[in-house]
Amino acid sequence: MQPPTLAHPTAALRVLVVDDDERSGRKLADLLRRDGFAVEVCAGGLPGLQRLAAGPAPDVLVTDLRMPQIDGITVARLAREHHPAMPILIVTAYPDLARRLGGAQPAPQVFIKPLEYAAFVGALRELREGA
Amino acid sequence: MTASVPTSETRFAELKRYVEFSAEDAALLTGFRATAAPHFERIAQEFYDRIRLHEEAHAVFTGEAQIARLQRSLVRWLGRVFGGEYDEAYFADTTAIGRVHVKVGLPQRYMFTAMALIRLSLMTLAETSGPDGIRISRAICRLLDLELAIMLESYRDDSISRIQHVERLEKEAIGRDLAMTQHRYVNAVELARVLIVGLDDAARVRLFNKEAERITGFDRDEVLGAELLKVLGMESNDAESVRALLATVVAAPTTTRTSIETAIRSKAGHPRVIRWQFTHAPADGDDVSVFAIGIDSTDERAQQDRVKQQERLAAIGTLAAGLAHEIRNPLNGAQLHVTELDLALRDIDASPDLLDTVHVVRDEIRRLGGLVTEFLDFARPRPLLVKPVVAQALLERTAHMVAAQAQARGAALTLDVPPADIELLADRAKLEQVLLNLTQNAIDALEAGGRVVLRARRQPRTVTLEVEDDGPGVPTDAPIFDAFFSTKAHGTGLGLSITHRIVTDHGGAIDVESAPGRTVFRVVLPVVPVVPAMDPQPRSEEP
Repeated sequence: MQPPTLAHPTAALRVLVVDDDERSGRKLADLLRRDGFAVEVCAGGLPGLQRLAAGPAPDVLVTDLRMPQIDGITVARLAREHHPAMPILIVTAYPDLARRLGGAQPAPQVFIKPLEYAAFVGALRELREGA
Repeated sequence: MTASVPTSETRFAELKRYVEFSAEDAALLTGFRATAAPHFERIAQEFYDRIRLHEEAHAVFTGEAQIARLQRSLVRWLGRVFGGEYDEAYFADTTAIGRVHVKVGLPQRYMFTAMALIRLSLMTLAETSGPDGIRISRAICRLLDLELAIMLESYRDDSISRIQHVERLEKEAIGRDLAMTQHRYVNAVELARVLIVGLDDAARVRLFNKEAERITGFDRDEVLGAELLKVLGMESNDAESVRALLATVVAAPTTTRTSIETAIRSKAGHPRVIRWQFTHAPADGDDVSVFAIGIDSTDERAQQDRVKQQERLAAIGTLAAGLAHEIRNPLNGAQLHVTELDLALRDIDASPDLLDTVHVVRDEIRRLGGLVTEFLDFARPRPLLVKPVVAQALLERTAHMVAAQAQARGAALTLDVPPADIELLADRAKLEQVLLNLTQNAIDALEAGGRVVLRARRQPRTVTLEVEDDGPGVPTDAPIFDAFFSTKAHGTGLGLSITHRIVTDHGGAIDVESAPGRTVFRVVLPVVPVVPAMDPQPRSEEP
């Protein structure tokens, strides 16, 4: 696990990426940083939970859903519980699992893998502008 | 028997010759008549007194009036015995008396013993009457024996006719029983809803019931005498199994496994599946030694096959869906890296060739992702959303959606629909997908200047939608509705599978008729869909 680093601590939107596929998570973080986001990556549900419980809350949660031990549903629920207004973006190979999050508002946006980065980063920019 | 045998001797003459009753005997009896006659009343009286003492013999008579009448007859008879005329008339009288005995039911045993009583009385009388007594006595014996013999004939004739009567009755009864039994069994065989085929030792057909005719399409006249296996056109391995089983059944009638399922061909060439049971039942005088009882299990079998197929598909579907989901993860990794590569190449103003190369990889990853999504849609169909739909509107919308594509290929697109709205209950979006798939396929298949017709027709309980083109045609024997079968260079091979799936989900059917210059995909849908029982819970994506 990388130590939490904020590339643009003052202005940048802080994004927490949770994905047990470490390489993909890291690459997504690289791309997002190029586009001016402050990104932390947690390689799995458990580190994701620990990070959410411990440090300062991120502005946006990006999480995979199907992960061993602690899945993305649990991570997203915890995020919702502590930070009801935190937007959640889901990036998953199993989009139907997102139903399990129920009718929580605001509804998480669901992106299917392989991720169309342009559309994804577009959604994040909208959040940044709206924030 | 020394006398010569006359050629036309009467029965009486023949009997007289046998007991050697001579003219001398006749003379002796005639001569004794005067002596005997005064005793006739007494002899008759004694005879019936004796009967009165004997319960069983007495029971033969109806009462004293009859006895008195018979006693008088006995006196007359005694007079006759000594009458001197022993001719055919005498024979006829004796025969008549015999018939009376039979008629009144006098048992033979009493006729015999009664005659012995009379004989004793007469012999006693003769033997005490003078020097000719013995000879007279013998003549009496001979004549009374003749009497007995003639009267016994009456019993014999009666018993023969009685036996004949009984036999006739029995025969009639047997005939009736037989007719009834035959009627029952013929009906049982003919009306049975199973195939009943009687086979002889060479497995040739000797009995072929109505159901056998109905199922096979053969008239019994066509198959009687022919070998069963040849008639039914069994596959060679089925025929071998049947032969083996037949041999087993004949060799060991108690064998436990006597049934077998075989495919046969009807006269018209239609395949049927028959479950046979063989029973060895040889009988003298019947050439049928084995009965083959068959049940048409085609539909049952088809149902089993469908269930099995569905289970297999479900298992494969689950497996494939799991695999499809998992493919998305490495695709995601690849996609993100390619995206970075793309951005990096742009940053350094890389050559367009290099950018193109990266874009090909990106596009291929997208295509794979799309394929996974399409496949998952196919593998995990969502329940139908059934609402009233107008077929004309469906076709118009489809035509509108493909208009640009048709124009680009120079294809003419026309609708052929009746003026009155054709309404049906269906999932509009899914039917649109069906029509879009079929129409796009048709346009893709066309050469420039080709023609596509979208057609709708209403039948009493169904609606037929057709997409016709004048392209080169599709191979109708190829599994075009199977997943991943494609004739297109860039087709996923899922389009027609999904189309097929949607149509069958509606309880409809799809088929294709194709020849160069005219290809018609025909979808027949029930006006009200026969929606199969579906799992109410959509299948989870979790493994």
